[in-house]
Amino acid sequence: MAHAFNRTITGKIIGRLDPVEQALLRSLLIQLASLLHKTDESENADPIAQLVGIQELAERPEDPALLRLFPDAYRDDESAANDFRRYTESGLRSQKTNRVDSAIAILDRADNKIELTYEEAQLMLGAMNDTRLVLASRLGLTNELNLDGLLAKESESGGPAHMYEWLTWLQETLVRAIADEKN
Amino acid sequence: MSQAVVLPQVSDEVETTQPFACTVWNDPVNLMSYVTYVFMTYFNYAKLKAEELMLQVHHNGKAYVSYGDKEKIEKDVAAMHSYGLWATIEKAS
Repeated sequence: MAHAFNRTITGKIIGRLDPVEQALLRSLLIQLASLLHKTDESENADPIAQLVGIQELAERPEDPALLRLFPDAYRDDESAANDFRRYTESGLRSQKTNRVDSAIAILDRADNKIELTYEEAQLMLGAMNDTRLVLASRLGLTNELNLDGLLAKESESGGPAHMYEWLTWLQETLVRAIADEKN
Repeated sequence: MSQAVVLPQVSDEVETTQPFACTVWNDPVNLMSYVTYVFMTYFNYAKLKAEELMLQVHHNGKAYVSYGDKEKIEKDVAAMHSYGLWATIEKAS
């Protein structure tokens, strides 16, 4: 197993992934990016509203994975939740889209060593987390206990539950490398 | 990074003068280390306080992580969503 992410004495965060792992990470990030780009509807009728990030019609996503990325901000007040969505979702979506696009660009320029500044490490971390949220939603991972069951059902180690478990491990090593720097 | 918010020293003590709370809910995906990192990075909380709040989320299912007026709490909740945490705006009770 690769060492994944470590912080160097100069404050850079270095990721060491073998080519197979790097390709896997890249393909998972690309899946998130395509999900976000697909829903990035720029058909807003009002250009001023678009400029300030307000969506005329920000609908509650039907896809549970998207709903997990853009959850309701009010639990028992649909109208307040919809208002919040109108004012925030477009900005939030651009932020998440730009973040995963940047993470992919970082991987594209990396060789066998992924060198990250603190800011780049934060982008990578956020994109990995969004990817895990989407994967978990697709896997129907509703509590901490059913991952083992899903892993047992997969005949080979290349299945989605195994990818999820691997990405969890990878994110853990990255968050630890970043937190090291803060302390 | 947001400004540090003045909060009660004991985090489960409710600040009654502040009407709304940014509430973070437990979910099976977000890592304990990541949630702690988010509370430290965004709210500028000390590690001990961030960990205490993270454990509240983990064990009690939710925690009030910041208090304020509606505008401030909506901003905090949007920030939590950007980090991928499951957060809602609740009336502080």
